[in-house]
This record gives sequence, C-alpha cells and structure tokens, in this order.
Amino acid sequence: MEARTNAMDPEKRELTRRSFLKMVAGSGLLLGLSGLLGGCMEDKSPAYVGGKGWLPYQYDLPGHLPAQVRGRVPIDPDNPSLSRDDQKCVLCGQCLEVCQSVQSVYGYYGLPVIDETICIHCGQCSLFCPTGAIRERDHTQEVLAALADESKFVVVQTAPATRVSLGEEFGLPPGAWVEGQQVAALRKLGFDAVLDTNFAADLTVMEEATELIKRIKGEAKRPLPQFTSCSPGWVKFCEYFYPELLPHLSSCKSPQQMLGALVKTYYAGRRGVDPGNIVSVSVMPCTAKKFEARRPEMNASAKYWQRQDLRDVDVVLTTRELARILKEKQIDLAALPEEQYDQLMGEKTGGAVIFGATGGVMEAAVRTAYFFITGEDPPASFLNLTPVRGLAGVKEAAVEMPGVGTLRVAVCHGMANGRKVLEAVRRKETPWHFVEFMACPGGCIGGGGQPRTAVPPTDALRAQRIAALYRADASLGKRSSYENAELAALYQGFLKHPMSELAEELLHTRYYSRADKLRPLSLAG
Amino acid sequence: MGRSQAVLVDITKCVGCESCVVACRLYNDLKPGPRAGGEAKPDGPAELAPDRWTVVQSFRVEKDGSRVRRFVKRQCFHCLDPACASACFAKALQKTPEGPVVYNEKLCVGCRYCMIACPFEVLRYEWDKPFPRVLKCQMCLARIANDQMPACVSACPTGALTFGDRDKIIAEARQRQYSRPDLYVSQIYGLTEAGGTSWLYLSDVPFERLGFPTGVPERPLPEYTWAVLRWTPHLFVGWGALLAVMYLYNRRRAVAHSEEEMYAPVDAEE
Amino acid sequence: MEVGNWSFRITLPRVVLIGLVLVAALTALYRFIFGLGAVTNLSDQWPWGLWIGFDLLCGIALAGGGFSTALIVHVLHRDKYLPVARAALLTSLIGYLVALVSLFLDIGRWYNFWRPFFFWGYHSVLFEVFWCISLYTLVQILEFGEVFFERVRAPVLKGLLQKLMPLLLILGIVLPTLHQSSLGSLYVIAVNKLHPLWWSMLLPFFFVWSAFFLGPAMVTLEGTLAARAYRREPETPLFRSLTRVTLGMMLVYLAVKLIDLGYRGAFPRLFEGSFESHMYLVEMVGFVILPIIMYAVPAISRKTWGVLAASCLVVGGVVFNRLNVVFTGMAKAAGQPYFPSVWEFLITLGMWSALILVYCFLVENFPILPKEKHSSPGEGDKCPERG
Repeated sequence: MEARTNAMDPEKRELTRRSFLKMVAGSGLLLGLSGLLGGCMEDKSPAYVGGKGWLPYQYDLPGHLPAQVRGRVPIDPDNPSLSRDDQKCVLCGQCLEVCQSVQSVYGYYGLPVIDETICIHCGQCSLFCPTGAIRERDHTQEVLAALADESKFVVVQTAPATRVSLGEEFGLPPGAWVEGQQVAALRKLGFDAVLDTNFAADLTVMEEATELIKRIKGEAKRPLPQFTSCSPGWVKFCEYFYPELLPHLSSCKSPQQMLGALVKTYYAGRRGVDPGNIVSVSVMPCTAKKFEARRPEMNASAKYWQRQDLRDVDVVLTTRELARILKEKQIDLAALPEEQYDQLMGEKTGGAVIFGATGGVMEAAVRTAYFFITGEDPPASFLNLTPVRGLAGVKEAAVEMPGVGTLRVAVCHGMANGRKVLEAVRRKETPWHFVEFMACPGGCIGGGGQPRTAVPPTDALRAQRIAALYRADASLGKRSSYENAELAALYQGFLKHPMSELAEELLHTRYYSRADKLRPLSLAG
Repeated sequence: MGRSQAVLVDITKCVGCESCVVACRLYNDLKPGPRAGGEAKPDGPAELAPDRWTVVQSFRVEKDGSRVRRFVKRQCFHCLDPACASACFAKALQKTPEGPVVYNEKLCVGCRYCMIACPFEVLRYEWDKPFPRVLKCQMCLARIANDQMPACVSACPTGALTFGDRDKIIAEARQRQYSRPDLYVSQIYGLTEAGGTSWLYLSDVPFERLGFPTGVPERPLPEYTWAVLRWTPHLFVGWGALLAVMYLYNRRRAVAHSEEEMYAPVDAEE
Repeated sequence: MEVGNWSFRITLPRVVLIGLVLVAALTALYRFIFGLGAVTNLSDQWPWGLWIGFDLLCGIALAGGGFSTALIVHVLHRDKYLPVARAALLTSLIGYLVALVSLFLDIGRWYNFWRPFFFWGYHSVLFEVFWCISLYTLVQILEFGEVFFERVRAPVLKGLLQKLMPLLLILGIVLPTLHQSSLGSLYVIAVNKLHPLWWSMLLPFFFVWSAFFLGPAMVTLEGTLAARAYRREPETPLFRSLTRVTLGMMLVYLAVKLIDLGYRGAFPRLFEGSFESHMYLVEMVGFVILPIIMYAVPAISRKTWGVLAASCLVVGGVVFNRLNVVFTGMAKAAGQPYFPSVWEFLITLGMWSALILVYCFLVENFPILPKEKHSSPGEGDKCPERG
C-alpha cells in the first residue's frame, strides 16, 4: 500500500509529521485570528445588559393592557395553606381573576394594606394557575415522619369529597368512587386508624340542626338566618368582610375539627391511647383546612385534658398531597381492593356523603331537622331536595315543616355569590332561616386542594363529582344523620345530647372579627 | 422621545404580590438561583442580587400606634446625574436621554468603584464568576425606547407603579398628596435625593423607616468629584511649570559628581 | 546562586519568602479561575477590601518616598541627600508594581484593563488615578533604566535616558502629586457613606500631603532596615536632617485637619463616643501629634532611636489613616462587618514578600545603595522586614 510505504520511509515520515504539526499550528493560528477578528467586529446586540428575555404577548403592547389578565395575587411567605414558586409564574393573571371575580376577595379591600395579606386560603388560585406555580403548602413530610415513628398513633380522617376525586390522580374519570380503595391505600401507608370525616359530618348535622331549631324557636337568642360554618374559607371571608354578621354563623365547628376534637378525647379514651401520642391527620379537598387546623382556638382536646401541647388536628393533607404520597410509595390506588373504614367513628349516612356538594349540608340538615321537629322520618321529597342541588350560584328553597311552618333556606357557593347573599342579609331583605355557604364553586368537591386539571376546573367536572356523591347517597340505606348508629352510641356514652355542655366545649366554637385587618373599600386611596 | 422618563412608586398601593419581580425576571431573562424560589423565605427584606434586579421588601412598622406592613419595591433609582456613571472610568455605565442608567458589560473593567460611589447601594457584582459583571435594573431601555413602559410597571396589578415623563410623574405625585393629605407623608423620595432620580416614591410612612437611605445629599454627587477633579489640568500644568523653573534655577547649585562612583551593588555574601 | 553576571543568595528567610510568593501565585490562579467570591470575603456591601485598601492605597502612599525624594534631591538639589535617592526611587518603583499587580488581581474583567485608555471616562477620579499611575510607573521604569544601563554597560542608552531625565523627573513628581491626591478624591463621592470625621472636600489634599511627608520617614525606615540587613552604617545624619521636612509638613497637616473639622462643624463628632470617633482620635493623637512632639523635642530627635521611632509612627499613621478611610469610615454604610479571608491575606503577604525579594535582588546587583567606605563584617544576611 502506498500510504504504508510512505509511512515506513523515515524521510517521508519526518515530512509527514512536520506537515502535520504545521497544519495544527496553522489551524490554531487561523482559529485565533478569526476569534480576534470576531471579537473586534461590531456587535449588533444592544450595548447594555438585559432585555433579552420574553414576556407574555400582552405585556409587549404599549400602554394599555387588558385589565383582567395581568399581575397575580399576593401570597404571603408565611401563608399556612399556599405557597408559590416564583420561577414557574408567567404572570398570566388567572389567580387574580379567580380571586377577584369568583371569590371577590382581591380588590375588595382598600389600600394601603394594614398588616397582613388578605387571603381566605380557599386555594382556587392553585386550581387556576396554569403552570403549577401556586400550590398547597406541602405537609407530606410531616405525615411520613409521623408514620415512620413507631411511638406515634397516627389517625387519619378523609373528607366526603376526596373519595370522588382522588381517582382522577390515578387515571380514573372524574367522579369515580374510590372510597374503599382510599381506605385500603391509607391502611397500606401505615395509618393506625382510618376514620371517616362523614361520621363527623353527621355529628355536625345533629348539632347544627339542633342549633337551627333553637334559633327558630327563639331559645338561642341568636339571629336568623343561621349560616353554615363548615367551610373555613367562608368563615374567614365572613370574619374579614362581614364581621357584623358573625352572630348568624352557626357555632358548630366544621366536621374536620369535630372529628379532631373527638379523636383526642372520646376516641383516645375508647381505644386507650394516650392523646399525646396521637397524630391526627386529615385528608381534605381544601387548602383552607390547613389554616383552620391552626386557628389557636382549635384545641378543644387540650382544654379537655388540660394539656397545652395538644392540637385537635395536627396535619392537614390535601387530596393532591395524598396522591403524591401514594405515588411516591408506588401504591396504585385503582388496583387496590376496597376496604371499610374503622368501626369506631367510621360509619356514615347519606346526609354526610352529600356534604361534599353545594347544597348538601343544607339538605342533610333539613332531613334531620324534620326528624327533630316531628319525631318522624322525613318524606321522600326531603331525601331528594332538588331546589338546593345543582350548580346555580344562589339557590333558594322553601320546605314545609309541620308544627313550625315554612322553612326558607338558601344555598350559595363561591364567595362572589356569597357576597350577594350577605349584602341582602345585611339589608335585612331576606326571608331565610338557614343559609349554606361554601367558599369554593360546587362546594368541597371543587375545593382548592382537589386534583388539578389541564384547564381551570369547569362546571362539567364539578357536576360529575357531585353526581357521584348523590348516587352514593341514594344507594345508602341510612339517608339521614340521626340514623347513624355509631353516632347514637357517641351521644349515649359521651356527649349525652346535642348541644350538651360537653358538646359545646368540644364541638362548638366562636368567631373573631378580622375587620381590623383590612380597610373598607370606600376609604381606599 | 427625548424627555426623561420616570416611574412613580406609590407604596400605599402595593400589596406585595411581586408581579414586578417576576416581570423583570421574564423580560430580562434572569435565572435566579433557588433562593428566589417559592418556599418561605426568612422574614427579612429580600435583597437585590446580580440575578434579581428588583425585589419587594416587606417592612412591619409602627404607624399611628398600630403595626402596619408595607412593601417597598427596590431597584436602581436611575439618578438624573448618576454617581455610578461619573465614577466609571471606562464609560461602562451611562445615563441615556430616555432616563435609564444602563450598563455595558463590554466596556466594564470590573473595578467596582461604581459600587463605592452609588449612594443607594443598588449595584450588584457577580462575585462567583471569573469575569464578573456589575448588574442592576436597566429600566427596560429597549422597551422605553420603543414607547413601552418598563416590564415591571406593565405587570403591576394594583397601579402602584406609574410610568411617564418625569415632570408629569411629579405633578401626579403632588396631585395625590394634595388630594389625600391625611394619607401621604409630604416627602417625595427621589425628587431631590442625589440631585433627583428617575424613580420616585410616595409613602404614608416616613421613608427612613422603610429602609430608604437617609443623608443622601441633594446636590448631584458627581458635582462633588468634579469640584476637585476640574483642577487637575491646572495642577498638571502649573505644578509642572513650577517644578521646571525650580529645576532650572537650582541647577546652578548642582555639584558635578559621578554617580558611577557614588553607588555600588551591595555584596550580600558578607 | 549565580547565573552569569547576576547573583542572588538563597538563605532560609528568602526560601520562606519564595514559598509565600508561590502560595500567593497559586491563590491568584485559583482566583482567576473561580472568581473573586471564591477567594475573598468581599461582598456587594464591601466592594473594596484588603487588596485595594491596603495593597493599593497604602502601597502607593508608602511608595511616596520616591517623589518626595525626587523633589528634594533633583529639583531642589539638596545634593547631600543623594546617597538615599536611588534607594528611595527603587522602593517606590517596586511599590507601584505591587500596587498594579494587586489592582490587576482585584479587577474582575481584567482583560478590559486597557479600556480606559480609549474610552475616556474623564469625569471619574479613577480615570485620573489610572492614567497617572500607569504613566508614572512607566516614568519610574525609565528612571530606573539609567541605573539598569549603567549596570549592563550600555552607555549610549544611558546617555539617552540622561538627556530625558529632566523631563522624566518633573513628570515623576507631577504625576504622583496628581494621583496621590486622587486616591483621596476617590472617596469624595461617598458623601453619605464615609463617616464625616474623614469625609471632606480636602481629602485629596490630605492624601497627597501625607504621602509627601511620609516620604522622608519612609526613607529613614527603609534605610535603617537595609543598613541592618546588610550590616552597614545607616545614614543617620541624613535621616535626622530629613525630619525637619516631615515636622514642618505634619504641622501644616494637623492645622488643616483641625480647621477642616471646624469648618464642617464635625468637631462634636470627635467626642460622640462611637467606634469611628475613637479610631479617629487614635489616628490623630497617636500617629500625628505624638510624632510631631517626638520630632520637635531635640532630646528625642537627636537620638537615632528617636528618629526611627517617630518615623515608624508616621509610616504607621499613614497606613492607619488609609485603612480608616477605607474600612472604619465606611463600616456604618456597609451595615455589615468585613474581615479579609485567609486567602486575601496570603496574596497580600505574597506580594510584599515578592517586593522584599525583588528589592534584595536589585540592591545586590545594581548600583543603588551608596558605596561603603568601611563595611563591618558579619555572617549571613537578613532581609529587611519591609521595603
């Protein structure tokens, strides 16, 4: 071969090496020269740093920008419910839109701010945020740590609304009923007790219906209409914007807090567990529940046992956080067998199941109130109270209560609708005895902690979840809260009767005006 | 354009959403590290950084006997007669006719004299880079030159930021103070500080309690330097001439001596 | 160690110094690769630290012996000081080189160092400093060229330089006068940052004046040290007569300082009890008034130790003053403390070690120190602690 012969020839090889080195040196020189030339060339880029990024299209327009799509809501770094990742925010303005238009919070207080960022923790912004920048404050690590701690007795309760949405995180359609799988998954995670918030929902109905009747009969010396108090976002909204209407709020705690209070008192006693060793976890569709659990007055068990360190609910997880834990532990919810809730504080009736839907609390309360007043089971029309069902913003109904007369009720969801109702109540123009408020559109099934969808949640999605709840209600033998046998046992052996002294201590609360935290709009600068 | 543009920051209207911070990051393609992330930051004012040209600082202050919280957007003040630009000996920092004081990294030597000179201490240096730049708000010069407002202003949802001709901005500020004398303090920060700045602030809390630098002279800072520096040529010529005359005059006294005889290398071996 | 015509004796102290220089060089390499933040404790609140505050500002001031000696010897033709002239000029040159190296280490975008030659930010004090220091270093190198060509025996070049010498000498006084003062002017713009005890429109005057009266003291100090190191007789009579220059200028300095304080109404701040006021009092009493007294009292100024001690105080005082301006006076504005990192100290140490080594090499190989009439024998040598 020619090349080989050349290479073997010492003289030729010398030449090749030399030319090779020449080539390397030459190309190096060329490279250096071109680099030098390139460096000296006039650079066309602007002669200052910055301005090389992009902005969403609407900001590149001079002057006037569409008012409804810009900026974002303020989220305080110490917000107990929500956090935001600045690196993901694109300033689309969706959070602002939902906070202002759907919840009527942002823009409904005067500036300058006083000393806190006004937030009802409803978490709707986290559902509407297209990039996932806003999300719940993550408490999964606390739960995992408690589960890993052998000395802790970890109790979990699950809200009515998570069982029709958790499946969505595992590929099931909206409204898929995963109650049994959820229980199985929680047991698999290692929770020592799996309780049903529905049990406390039934309890809430018993207490709230009793309170309603007392108000109507004039025994309670509290004004009508009575407002429901299950939705912590709504409660904070009322404390902020309508403090003068706080006496209308039912003194009942939300089911989460009722169950939390009972877990560390009644339940601990029955199971013989030191309440100090119990970690009380709840799985909620709601971000505001994280705030509610941290309200200083939510420590009934501490007062009961005279132990300062107790909190009724220690950690609140949202549906999304539970799904995250399950995925992290590689538990496929859809593939799990169905299991039952624990026997103690695990029973529910249809009245509790529908708590997750707008109008549900009202319907359940009406069923039980009928029983309390008449001593008889409610007729079929009460078991299917269609006027308070559905996704209309404000719903009204009038039902005949034998011996009392016409009971007029109203139901609203989304605080913009709530605001309309409240304004009417403030003007004393309303005939209602009882009004249900839910902070989130659709009720708890549309809560800020529910699985996120590709687009902001729609009414179609909400309707599917709601339909699943009513189907479950219809399929249950016991439809009204007073029929709950475990509940009857609770009253018999512990609380005695609704609104007893002990029930007041554990299950009822009071509210505080937050009017000093925000400036009325009319005085805004 | 040609007229100097300015931004009015009305602290009473800020809710602390930090939209401006995000807009700045997006428009200027800044990639802040994890400390700018969403997790709770320690309760203390956020600080400007090479990758954060604007921040919103939160202050809890006493006002009329109660504690209130105020948010203050911070960025370069864009002085009318900027100390940093006068301090730069390579012309890397320059005041543009539109108002912004901009930085050209190609000219920068990295001596950081600008940082010594800046009375508001807004310049940030890339300490961890081999060829660090001095970074700060550029007031979105490209947008201003294109008849747009700075990115932060355009993203503000509450109207806390207003952009326009400096004259009109001052008139607007005075109008607000006039219509709400109960609310605002009488000072407009930036009106006279350091000879006037392109970012002006209105507040209902005295500025010194919101971390604004006090004691910034009203005279433009470059004037101080210039008062000294302008003597340089005179000194050079005058002192040089004097020395020359003295040299010539004193040469008479020179005694001839051989330098080669006088000095010698030291012998270290001893 | 001898290579050709050149000799450099390697002794233990010199090995240590060489080691320090090597450590500093490695640190400098690390700094160039990983940035200032990796090596220094500098921050956005403390943009200037040890290298600028000490190596540059103090180094340049200490090198002030060059121009004051040049003025006294070559312009005023006080020829009796000729024996110390070359040494003074040499230390000045090495001092400037150290300052330039430290500046080069300190600037972030060092490949742009030539920019100010072409983009004239003439409104900046630093512009004047930069030009003057660059030109003056060049002038000093040319001045040293005379000595160099004398040693390497190139009479033509030496003659050429000698012809240029009057111009070089005058430039070599005008330029340092300008930039010594400009180093003070640097801080004139820090109106609201530098503590009012130090901030003054007269900062440039104080800087150039102190750099000038520092010269004789510095010559005394380094002459004594060099004499010790090389077992020679110090030029005590010369040093003693130089004290009169220092004394006179320091009296003026003190007077102007007091008048300035009074004019600016800063007298009350003297006794405000703050850290700054204490430091200021120490600076003025310990390093200005005390040496003035020592120089003025014949019982002290006649003694060799007296002159030496007073000179040490003057030199220390100027260093103290520069550090006060850069650090003490700026601390409040910075809002947080600064203390140089180990690496910053190592680099500084390495540079001053290099200065000593270069000084030793040059005086041992070039005709810089006066010819000895009688040299006292002794074994080993000790390098001066300080140039």
